[in-house]
Amino acid sequence: MYAFQYWAAALYLAAGVGGVLGMALPAPKVLRGARWGLGLGAIVQLAAFASLHRLEPAPSLTDLGYAVAMMAWLAVLFTLTLAWRIRLPGFVPPVAFVAFLTCFGATLHRPELASVADSGTTIPHAHVLLASAGLAALGVAGLAGLFFLLEHRALKRRRPVVRRLSLPSLEALDRVNRVALALGFPLLSLGVLTGVLWLDARVGEWWSGSVHETWMALAWVIYLGLVVLRLGGRQGPREAAASALAGFAFLVAVVAGAGVVS
Amino acid sequence: MKILLLGMNHRTAPVEIRERFAADPLGTMLQKLVDRPEIEEGALISTCNRVEVVVTTENPDAARHSLYDFFSRDLGAGRGPGAGELAELTYLRQGRQAVEHVFRVASAIDSMVVGEPQILGQVKDAYREAVDAGACGPVLSRLFQRAFATAKRVKNETGIAQRPVSVARVAVDLAKQIFERLDDKRALLVGAGEMIEAALSALRDHGLGECRVANRTVERAEVLANRFGGTAHGLAELDVLLPESDVVLICVGGDEPILTRERVESSLEGRRGRPLFLIDIGVPRNIDPDVHEIVDAYLYDLDDLQEVAAANQQERRRESQRAEEIVYEEREQFAGWLVALQAVPTIRDLRERAETIRAGEVDRFAGRLDLDATQADTLEQLTRSIVNKLMHDPISQLRDETDREAGLVRLEEARVLFGLDERRGFTADEDPEESDA
Repeated sequence: MYAFQYWAAALYLAAGVGGVLGMALPAPKVLRGARWGLGLGAIVQLAAFASLHRLEPAPSLTDLGYAVAMMAWLAVLFTLTLAWRIRLPGFVPPVAFVAFLTCFGATLHRPELASVADSGTTIPHAHVLLASAGLAALGVAGLAGLFFLLEHRALKRRRPVVRRLSLPSLEALDRVNRVALALGFPLLSLGVLTGVLWLDARVGEWWSGSVHETWMALAWVIYLGLVVLRLGGRQGPREAAASALAGFAFLVAVVAGAGVVS
Repeated sequence: MKILLLGMNHRTAPVEIRERFAADPLGTMLQKLVDRPEIEEGALISTCNRVEVVVTTENPDAARHSLYDFFSRDLGAGRGPGAGELAELTYLRQGRQAVEHVFRVASAIDSMVVGEPQILGQVKDAYREAVDAGACGPVLSRLFQRAFATAKRVKNETGIAQRPVSVARVAVDLAKQIFERLDDKRALLVGAGEMIEAALSALRDHGLGECRVANRTVERAEVLANRFGGTAHGLAELDVLLPESDVVLICVGGDEPILTRERVESSLEGRRGRPLFLIDIGVPRNIDPDVHEIVDAYLYDLDDLQEVAAANQQERRRESQRAEEIVYEEREQFAGWLVALQAVPTIRDLRERAETIRAGEVDRFAGRLDLDATQADTLEQLTRSIVNKLMHDPISQLRDETDREAGLVRLEEARVLFGLDERRGFTADEDPEESDA
């Protein structure tokens, strides 16, 4: 049952180690291999999801371990899509390591079974998929923000690491941040919306006042503010990077905290 | 066979001496080199930082004198220093040291700027010239091929060539850390001096898009602008040009900064956070240092660039230690190959000697035995088989041991033990026992 997941985790780990080596040596071929490893890991993890989905009864979509693993998987896909057009050498190792941890972590606990998959409606599926995709994109924005701040600081301190395979340029990181925010926020919004619809279908109310709902609503409002500031041109690249990083940290705290509480 | 190298470089001789020995034309010089009787193969590496002659010879003493003579008489054409002075300005390497030196040169470990990329191309050119002139035989061909392979390994396995060490290249790399691509960027050059030109040239080589040159005298700006396909402007237009620029290179005279913090701040308004990279190579500085405190402006002056270049140079030197290990490995492999190559004539001599003895002894005894054709054939086969079996182990030892460091010693021992050198005139009619006695 877990064979695909173990393989995916192993590939992610190899990609992460390869990415670190490729950056440190620096060796472009190793780094390219790491990117392929990441892609292969994503394919194997897709097979893992498919095999889990075919189980009777299937693990619940709302199981935190699997939801986070799916989020990391979507982040891998998002990163690979961006890397197609933008040079992002520094992104492979952190994304691969996060994917490894989530993929491997999901195999360590016994998931909840079938409570949602058997509910007979597509809304829970849509909620989990959309919210995970939104979180993944915003995670990539946060990572781009972190790299931007590191590189900006190095350049301002006039101690840049000038080498062939350093982090992506400030301009590229800012572009990734903008694209990820522009894509992640609508997905997150749709995730919130489908969450409300699911709640309505389940308990006949749009708002139950749970910890998860309250904090997620707050996170959504914060992101709305960030999007308005960013797309309205009232935020420079450095502020946008810091906001993306802080926003994602808050979002992770909300999702993880609410999961633990519930 | 021995490999010898005589050379002078930037460390042993100043440029005014080195330039007198520049090999020109190379083909003619190579011909003069290999025409010398004690030289078997030869190649000449002649660059602005070094002049080196590498040869193979069977007579190292004579070849050494011949190389000094070639240096002063042919390369120097009498313009250079005398033979006594030449010894102080040059270095002589023999055997493994010579091999190691060629590998270090090709790998840019011995260069003035460690890791510089041009030297490998220059060594390749030297090899090509030697081949074209018919001066390069199997040993030097192998030496150069291994030198190229070593250089490739050093480049791929170490960071010796990765960090830029010239101010212009550092500026380019910094620009690449700020901007995703340079071909859609606009550069503004304030001044039209040599430093500006060098930096602009490096940026253009890396795909910089549009460039505009502003100078006090527009005519001088036009000269530079025309060379790089840009437009020329006067300094009065700076406030219009600055907001549209992404990279600013500045080097003009004057005691007061031309670009103040206020001026740069106002030019950044309306750019929506688009970064501005400013390179101030003027002394005294032309940009107010406070400009660096503006969030979206990245200001580097000459000292900053030189500091980064020096740090990179340091890093390259550290990496060169790893490169030396690779050179050592490759040198040992080459030495093994050379020993193996030298084993071939010894093995051939040994076989010939054994066969001469066998054939002689068979002839001597076949007459006494009155053998028919079948018996003579059997005797022939029998003796051949005995000799082959006896020779098998010594020959295998020689062939297999040749890749070890002691291979050359073993070859020498074999030649003495089997009397391959002293007894070249030995015939089967002579009794070895008697002649030894």
